[in-house]
Amino acid sequence: MRHGNSESYFNQVWSSQATEMGDMSDLDRQIEQLQRCEVIKESEVKALCAKAREILVEEGNVQAVDAPVTVCGDIHGQFYDLKELFKVGGKVPETNYLFMGDFVDRGFYSVETFLLLLALKVRYPDRITLIRGNHESRQITQVYGFYDECLRKYGSITVWRYCTEIFDYLSLSAIVDGKIFCVHGGLSPSITSLDQIRQIDRKQEVPHDGPMCDLLWSDPEDMQGWGVSPRGAGYLFGSDVVNSFCQENEVDLICRAHQLVMEGYKWHFGEMVLTVWSAPNYCYRCGNVAAILELDENLKRDFTIFEAAPQESRGIPSKKPQPDYFL
Amino acid sequence: MSSDDGVIGTNDDAASCKRYAVDKGYWNDPYISYMVPKSSSRKAPEISRGYYARVTSIQLLVEKFLRLTECRCQIVNLGAGFDTMYWRLSNAGLVPKGFVEVDFEQVTSRKCHFIKSKQQLLEALSGEDSEIMMNKAELHSANYHLVSANLRNIGSFEAKLSASGIDRSLPTLFLSECVLVYIEADSTEKLIKWIADSFPTAFFINYEQVNMADAFGHVMIENLKARDCVLSGASACTSLTTQMNRFLNNGWSGGDALDMSAVYRYLPQEDLQRIERLELLDERELLEQLLSHYCLVWAYKDTSNLGLHAISLS
Repeated sequence: MRHGNSESYFNQVWSSQATEMGDMSDLDRQIEQLQRCEVIKESEVKALCAKAREILVEEGNVQAVDAPVTVCGDIHGQFYDLKELFKVGGKVPETNYLFMGDFVDRGFYSVETFLLLLALKVRYPDRITLIRGNHESRQITQVYGFYDECLRKYGSITVWRYCTEIFDYLSLSAIVDGKIFCVHGGLSPSITSLDQIRQIDRKQEVPHDGPMCDLLWSDPEDMQGWGVSPRGAGYLFGSDVVNSFCQENEVDLICRAHQLVMEGYKWHFGEMVLTVWSAPNYCYRCGNVAAILELDENLKRDFTIFEAAPQESRGIPSKKPQPDYFL
Repeated sequence: MSSDDGVIGTNDDAASCKRYAVDKGYWNDPYISYMVPKSSSRKAPEISRGYYARVTSIQLLVEKFLRLTECRCQIVNLGAGFDTMYWRLSNAGLVPKGFVEVDFEQVTSRKCHFIKSKQQLLEALSGEDSEIMMNKAELHSANYHLVSANLRNIGSFEAKLSASGIDRSLPTLFLSECVLVYIEADSTEKLIKWIADSFPTAFFINYEQVNMADAFGHVMIENLKARDCVLSGASACTSLTTQMNRFLNNGWSGGDALDMSAVYRYLPQEDLQRIERLELLDERELLEQLLSHYCLVWAYKDTSNLGLHAISLS
């Protein structure tokens, strides 16, 4: 879907003259469209990203979130499975959501998935929190699908540019009621306190190393101290590291995503670290279930497990990419 | 569309993934570009790593067999597709007495065409006084033979081996990469038994699916069915035990079966470190899941006591 210059010029002029009311109904229409898994126009993506930037730039690197909240892990462009998630978890704004990153790549509908979440963020900024995952990066999206998908669906990489610019504004972590620290990957040897996270200048591409990279890439591992990550970025961190981080920051739990768990969620080191995974049948290949973590106003935990959307509800992609195996 | 069309199409997919990985630098194959066009789509790093493990581990076993027999042996590649092993071995000075590739006619005719039209492929086949006989879908040279056959029909397979000058008294290595899984289990058992009965000294390397009874396996069966690719032989791919027993119960004396996750750990560490640096792997568990649903099985029958039992990855 390519749009000529005159049309996008018209849209820009129109949008700048629109009233607040007009903006809102426009946004609601875009949300409806995205909820049907239909992309919005390039000019609309531009305007949406501009509004999102205004909101995200005000958020801290450790964004404070109030319970009750439903915490979700990786989505990876599995649009129809995100709709399943909203079906079991409730809609925005009725349910307050925290998504821990990896909205894009791997699945067939990264564009629709990310833009829907972003549109919901703009429409209901206090009811949905989006933090950055390691896939919200220019480099990674060029390997794992989002770049190719934008090019395929829009005929140019402009939308990929708009989206990756917004990735730089996404918060790096969140803290629920001051007690549950939420981050995409995990801890960093360069970080002992939340204040150190607050000091990071996050408005950049995910670096190859350093604290910002580690928060998005690290994994817990049954060990003491720090280890080399087989992913080639971030670190493996042991239970002693978690203990001292939680003590120093008066945190009860570290909640993260980043790793496929076939059962949807997994506890590490007793109940100090929790992995939540929200992409059922990951990559349309793994046969895993997904989970979301519902925290009530007292931070009582309740998990909801869900499966992939049934095949018949998925619609037929115009050019169906196929899951990869060794043939 | 015949029920084999989906299976025939798997060759293009595998060939394209191998070409992609070679272009990325996972392993060296100067010949693949003569048969397989540059891939039009990006392949995920776990796919390239998986093909790397498959190509490297099979190459390791094949080279051990060639060195043990000092190349006084034969290799029969079942469902060879666009495999370039003959040319790679030839390049390394490891040419067996006979090298036979078998596949469906739709595949061998295309491979014939590539060989005919590419000097770089052709020159490896032409020795000093040898002539090359070729028709549309088959090719015979001094060492290398390309024939078409349906492996379900042992009579015609046997005739094609004879036409290729196969000497049953020579140590012979049979190789199948993602081939048996597409054939009904009883046909495969007959084939495996016929080979054991016909070749007193033989080695078999089979790479294909395993652990197919779990959720990942079920999803794979359904996904492949959706692209007209039916895993008719999946019942033999339930576990490493079912994979191994298929040989032990059909005339083979011994062997081993490892899932590819274990195979991966046996590969030369230095080169593994090199390939793991080529592309960032976003998710190790997906690679683990993939690797643990494929296996490398080898079996031997060593009537002439060559020491085939000693061939392994370690």
